[in-house]
Amino acid sequence: MRRMTFRRVLWVCTLQAVVLLAVVVVALKLGAVPISVTDLVYSLGRVAIGHDSQLPSQFQVIVFGLRLPRIILAIFVGAALSVAGAGYQALLRNPLADPYVLGVSGGAALGAICSLIFAPEIPLVTPAAAFVGATLTITAVYFLGRRQGQLDGSTLLLGGVIVASFLQAVIMFLMTTLAGRELRGTSFWLMGDLSTPSPEEIGWVFAVGLAVSIGAIYSTSADLNLMLGGENEAIHLGVNVKRVKLVVYVAASVLTGLAVSVSGAIGYVGLLVPHALRWLVGSDYRILIPASALGGAIVVVVADTLARTIAAPTEFPVGAMTAMAGAPVFIYLLRRRMR
Amino acid sequence: MSSNTVRLNVEQASYAYSAGERQAPLFTLEATSFQARSRELVAVLGPNASGKSTLLRLIAGTLKPLSGRVELDGFHTSQLEARTRAQRIAVVQQESPILFPLRAWEYVLQGRHPYGRTFHFESEEDFAIVENALEQVGAKHVAERWMDKISGGEKQRVVVARALAQQPLLLLLDEPTLHLDIGAQVELLERLRHLAVRNHHTVVVVTHELNLAAAFADQVVLLHKGKCLKVGPPAEVYRRELLEQVYEAPLEVEYSPEGRPRVSIRGGKEIGLGSTPAQVV
Amino acid sequence: MPQKFLSQAARVCVATALLCVPSVCAQTSLGTPGPVLRQFTDEAGRRVSVPVSPQRIISLAPAMTETLFALGVEDRIVGVTDFCDYPPAARKKPRIGGAINPNFEQIVALQPDLVLAQALTLNRRETVDALERLGLTVYATSASTVEGVLESTRLVGEVTGAGQRGEQLVTQLRERLGRLKQRLEGRPPRRVLFVVWHEPLISVGTETFLGDALRLAGAVPVVETEQDWPRLSLEEVVRQQPEYLVFASAHEQGVEHLLAGLKQRPGWRDLEAMKHHRVAIVSDAINRPAPRLVEAIEQLARQLHPEAFEEKEVTGSSQLGLRPMSSATATARNAGAGTSR
Repeated sequence: MRRMTFRRVLWVCTLQAVVLLAVVVVALKLGAVPISVTDLVYSLGRVAIGHDSQLPSQFQVIVFGLRLPRIILAIFVGAALSVAGAGYQALLRNPLADPYVLGVSGGAALGAICSLIFAPEIPLVTPAAAFVGATLTITAVYFLGRRQGQLDGSTLLLGGVIVASFLQAVIMFLMTTLAGRELRGTSFWLMGDLSTPSPEEIGWVFAVGLAVSIGAIYSTSADLNLMLGGENEAIHLGVNVKRVKLVVYVAASVLTGLAVSVSGAIGYVGLLVPHALRWLVGSDYRILIPASALGGAIVVVVADTLARTIAAPTEFPVGAMTAMAGAPVFIYLLRRRMR
Repeated sequence: MSSNTVRLNVEQASYAYSAGERQAPLFTLEATSFQARSRELVAVLGPNASGKSTLLRLIAGTLKPLSGRVELDGFHTSQLEARTRAQRIAVVQQESPILFPLRAWEYVLQGRHPYGRTFHFESEEDFAIVENALEQVGAKHVAERWMDKISGGEKQRVVVARALAQQPLLLLLDEPTLHLDIGAQVELLERLRHLAVRNHHTVVVVTHELNLAAAFADQVVLLHKGKCLKVGPPAEVYRRELLEQVYEAPLEVEYSPEGRPRVSIRGGKEIGLGSTPAQVV
Repeated sequence: MPQKFLSQAARVCVATALLCVPSVCAQTSLGTPGPVLRQFTDEAGRRVSVPVSPQRIISLAPAMTETLFALGVEDRIVGVTDFCDYPPAARKKPRIGGAINPNFEQIVALQPDLVLAQALTLNRRETVDALERLGLTVYATSASTVEGVLESTRLVGEVTGAGQRGEQLVTQLRERLGRLKQRLEGRPPRRVLFVVWHEPLISVGTETFLGDALRLAGAVPVVETEQDWPRLSLEEVVRQQPEYLVFASAHEQGVEHLLAGLKQRPGWRDLEAMKHHRVAIVSDAINRPAPRLVEAIEQLARQLHPEAFEEKEVTGSSQLGLRPMSSATATARNAGAGTSR
């Protein structure tokens, strides 16, 4: 018997953190503008101690003003989507669930589009409106997904899918009938794109939301392990199923809303990262949640770095990278299951 | 806790299901009463749709009785907090779906959940309890195997082991013999009896298997269409007229040397113990 | 005990990461050093401080690049988009990515002292905001009429320190438009359908500079709408029976090929203009809010109102010449050679 211990969780997470750190350093080095590794490591070291980095000013802006914030955002988005995916998979008891299945991304997209049409001149409005759209969707789907006073997996799924397609229809309608001058770039956003630098406040809000939501889901991880075997079973083993479902639903949806508001709907991360990690470290959510967060971070940083370096100076939206890699992996996984 | 005190007290407990709030009830379980002590095995008996599952849920505390009460050591089962309840009552259901692959010992370990805190990782003690539980059900040899790869009988034993790992006062089983062959059925009931005595559990088994109940139960609660017809030791409850009324078939009741009744179809055909639900017994 | 050590280590890492953040944030602005700045309010309503004679200019739009060349400041351009193809010399300038998704690293690495954006019709507000936050100076134009395009041109001239050239250029262009207006005086405008895309059928609205250009060329759209790029119903267009179909294209052969295909299609084949090949093909310049727009307007007017151009030309604009309708493209090319000076 190999038990799940805190030590094991820590080892896995430390290993992943080391990989993430290596990936980040490489990502900082790569880009349309070449920067040598020695310069980079030296200046990172100086900054960590609190001194000035001693890079020429445009390199400073590139590394610390463009690449590092973008990488940090990629880490946040990857972590958010993966944990949200793992959470939804437990909540809906469906291994094919991804963070967008309940319509949260549609709501965020609609919010963003509305802000572009009605209030184009105020900064920060678009991500804020996207998040408001996401929140409204979360609330609407919550009420649609209830049965006998608590959230029910299949009802939730049904409600979410219906809301998602309705929102898609509204978005299509708006995009064809309204002015069109404000909607350039929407296609990038819909695919998932990190190429435009975001204001600093977004990073902070995201960090806080991320920490709180992941913390909330993690606190239910032991309960989730049991709920995977059936809700009645879990109730009989002492799980407050009603409360756990609500917490996981809200936290996972908030994570999705945050990610989508910032970067659009990057696909396949929320679906495949938890799967891959289940295969590597097991289904115990006490390790799966932190491992998914770190794994997702690594995946999105790698995808985003590829997106901006493969055909530099042209940039692909990062969602295109994850889709191109993710679809074949998904097909492979499906076939393995069928065997 | 002396073995003579009443542990489970079901007093005039009733329940009704209806489609909507103001609509007439679709099904009613009428006031039912019985008591069970530690080291006792009680069989809740009756054909399909007699109210057995409802009674089980009332005892388990997942339903609150419309009238009357269900108490375990003085506490209303439906008012206990989920965690506390899971430490006192263990339920073995008919179907145990397993979504993600799990090893037998991991499955049994879930029984320790009611004793853990939020960010809890299981301790050595928990593991000792798991091993012990597997041993008690005779499933230690499948501990490392995957749950979807072991036989039905072995799986059932592992499920019981999980219930034992909860270290409950009360063990509730809903039709545990449904998918088992005769040998496994007898073996399971024997083991349950044995566990009840050894661990001072109170065991309540919901079943429709007349002869199994007769052979192993200390008390039988006979239900028919939502009514509790009789409560008592098998010899008292197994009256031919009563059973014929409930099961709507010509029956014959004989007695074994130990005084345990045995039911067969009148006309001389012995109905075996390993019968399927399609037959009457 | 390893467990304790590891959690300590984790705590140290988190603390270090958090400490990095403030020092990182402090180093992320380029700030424009020293020289004399002039204040402008750009056409998107933003207050911008531009050095008196910017030496390192980046253009985020093809039309903007064209304008800069027309103003004679091309030596000071240090970066253009992947789509800046006119004049041909623009293709030799360093690239900074697309107009919608430019590569910020390239832009920063080029150390521009002025970035020019085309706000209304091309570049995104987020792009402009982000460049500003990086400490760059961004000036945006925003034109929804032809006059607006001319005014933008003049302002860009002023901002880039080519104010005189800008005034000259715009005066010339205004004169040409004036003459064109005279020629078309009294002639009823042609009812046209401007085809941006054929499937789905997308046309252009009246509130755009393109819509305004059509008007100045003596045309009126068969379906008038305020949407910028309306999707029209082919049925409605057939009902309206425009006198001319107008296509913008860099290559005449491409449009002829397209028309050959469309001629057979239901709806399209019911258009009188299609049956009698009353099709006007105008250069791609009509899509760009740049000085060449005027020439494209003239080219279109010529095709829609050939009778207005039958007298001989008297004064200076010999580059216009007299050509029959079928070599409209040739006219465009000749005229094109004349405008950038």
